[in-house]
Amino acid sequence: FKDDFSTSPHLFTPMSPYDLELPIQASSQLSQSKELHTDFSSVDLSFLPDVTQDNKEQNLSEDGQETQKELDGSLSSKEESGVFMNESSLSHPGAAQPPPETPGVCPPLTPMTPITPATSASESSGIVPQLQNIVSTVNLACKLDLKNIALHARNAEYNPKRFAAVIMRIREPRTTALIFSSGKMVCTGAKSEEQSRLAARKYARVVQKLGFPAKFLEFKIQNMVGSCDVRFPIRLESLVLTHQQFSSYEPELFPGLVYRMVKPRIVLLIFVSGKVVLTGAKDRSEIYEAFENIYPILRGFKKPS
Amino acid sequence: MAARGRCPECGSGSLVEDAHYAQQQLVCAACGCVLSEGLLTTTYTDEEHLREVAYSQSTGQKEQLSRCLQRGIRRVQDLCKVLKLPAAFEETAVSYFQRALELPAFHLVSLEKKELLGGCCVLVTCRQRRWPLTMGTVCSLLYAKQELFASVFLSLQRELGLSVPALSLADLVTTHLSSFRLVQPNANIPAPFLEDKEQLVARTMAIVELASDTWLVTGRHPVPVVTAAAFLAWQSLRPGPRLSCPLARFCHLAGVELPPPAQLRLKELLEILLAMASQLSWLRGFCLDKKTVVKHIGDLLQHRLFLLKRAFSQQDTGLGMSSVSQECQGSGLPSSPAVPQQQGCPSAGQQQQRGTLKPLLPPCLLHPRKRLRAAAPSAASAALTGDEPISDSEIEQYLRSPEEIRAFRRAKAWS
Repeated sequence: FKDDFSTSPHLFTPMSPYDLELPIQASSQLSQSKELHTDFSSVDLSFLPDVTQDNKEQNLSEDGQETQKELDGSLSSKEESGVFMNESSLSHPGAAQPPPETPGVCPPLTPMTPITPATSASESSGIVPQLQNIVSTVNLACKLDLKNIALHARNAEYNPKRFAAVIMRIREPRTTALIFSSGKMVCTGAKSEEQSRLAARKYARVVQKLGFPAKFLEFKIQNMVGSCDVRFPIRLESLVLTHQQFSSYEPELFPGLVYRMVKPRIVLLIFVSGKVVLTGAKDRSEIYEAFENIYPILRGFKKPS
Repeated sequence: MAARGRCPECGSGSLVEDAHYAQQQLVCAACGCVLSEGLLTTTYTDEEHLREVAYSQSTGQKEQLSRCLQRGIRRVQDLCKVLKLPAAFEETAVSYFQRALELPAFHLVSLEKKELLGGCCVLVTCRQRRWPLTMGTVCSLLYAKQELFASVFLSLQRELGLSVPALSLADLVTTHLSSFRLVQPNANIPAPFLEDKEQLVARTMAIVELASDTWLVTGRHPVPVVTAAAFLAWQSLRPGPRLSCPLARFCHLAGVELPPPAQLRLKELLEILLAMASQLSWLRGFCLDKKTVVKHIGDLLQHRLFLLKRAFSQQDTGLGMSSVSQECQGSGLPSSPAVPQQQGCPSAGQQQQRGTLKPLLPPCLLHPRKRLRAAAPSAASAALTGDEPISDSEIEQYLRSPEEIRAFRRAKAWS
């Protein structure tokens, strides 16, 4: 990934007032200390639909289980919690304190919390991006006979001339998996991290029932895609002029503007209708953070012709 | 350093290797006798044994361009000549090409991609110097697939870290229209259809600006917009004989291809113009349709800022204004067209008919094709932890029964 600041100086346009770096002073410090992007202090959970008690408990129960380099993976370490305690003081002053549902553990170590930028509460968009797709990988840790699987499973397709993996689908959660002969598996189509994990476990179970000694190792979310609507049209030509170093708008190729945000490292597709697609996240908070970063920028272009 | 052997003349052992005018010589330090000297010319076999710098390590090797690079540079130069670009463009494009080809991302790609790389370098150069070259033109010159060209272009931008400014529509209008046969007096085109280039360019430019103000250009391919705008401009400059000529025939006369989206752009432009015409006082009496509004494009363009404000509800004026009766509208406005009428309207007249106006939005918002998605996920899925127990029956529904397997094997699905 090439840092766009390396373009030659004379082509560098001065940053607009809606500088990427400014609104997220606090959150940038938070994220830099934790390379796995976990555990930001929750500032305002009220508009999140699916952050519940269960999610928080899930994180705590992960300790003894198979190694997961996932979002919640680092919860067990005490020093993380310690660092987190300090950083919770950096949290947004206007935010509601999260309810202490897990006594004895420091306040919400959920990975599901968003970051509102530290500038001001009034700039928070009130719009929450919806997750549309989660791609995850898991290692079943045994060699698989793909022909055998395709013969014995109803929901599998296998066309070795076209692609060297079995394509398996399950109905609930509605997902698709690519299962390779090395034992590695890719699971796509889930709408949340838990759904992706549950689906991956179901696929592993199917493989187990087919007679293979499948395990469930190194489950990791690789990519998350979210989308939302800012509800006003956007002048893409102006956006590409003011944010030249991050944007790529080629109407001859694609109707949307491709905005490569540096922090967090997310790619946003911005369309003239105001719809925004965010992708490239390993954690849900990155999507929320990216949207909160882009919203004030887009607001600057909300104007009549 | 001393060499082995003894001087044949004086017998001393102190032999020195020295260079006499860059010619290597083996000289006795005592008597100055030259034992042997290096050859000024060497054979290839000799060179292998010399301790001089090998050719592969000398700078001569690096200065020589690889054949691939030479071919690519020639391609870039040919492209620049075909497009009649200034000489400075050629140098820049060649330098970009050389830089790009050294990078691992482009060095090991297929030859097809290397050809496209040359085209991309030319395109980037033109964009940076505000020369309106479209990707379609370059693709057709290189017989390239649009998707492949797009991927090479984007990766070139990324690898070299170039900032490529957007295609300027104003320049595109000028260049595109110059290629029209209708503006060239020598072409054998019926007289009513010939048009003066300056006038056509000016009016097309105004229509394109109108289109970009009304959200018809953002996110769309620029060439069909220019084509549709040129058609309307051409028709409006002399409506009499030209109104009956359809867009397809116009493109045929002009000697350009009709891009498929141009018909849709034309429709959208006419809708905008009709809405504007409904605000122009001396046209309100007429019942205009898509054909007849063309005759008044000149007037509409002249007052377009005012008409746009009146015809469409802008976002900041809000939709809360009530609509007042039509009489205010007819009586309040002075009849002189030349005076901009923003201040002239009575306040009541301004508030009228805002409620009946269409909002000024991109067409994709005015005519949404997809139905809006369901909002948040349900509460049941919200409570998911990912660690729920998985029932055997659920898994077994995905496994084939023995009869099925037998039947499948018999069918031999994969042989």
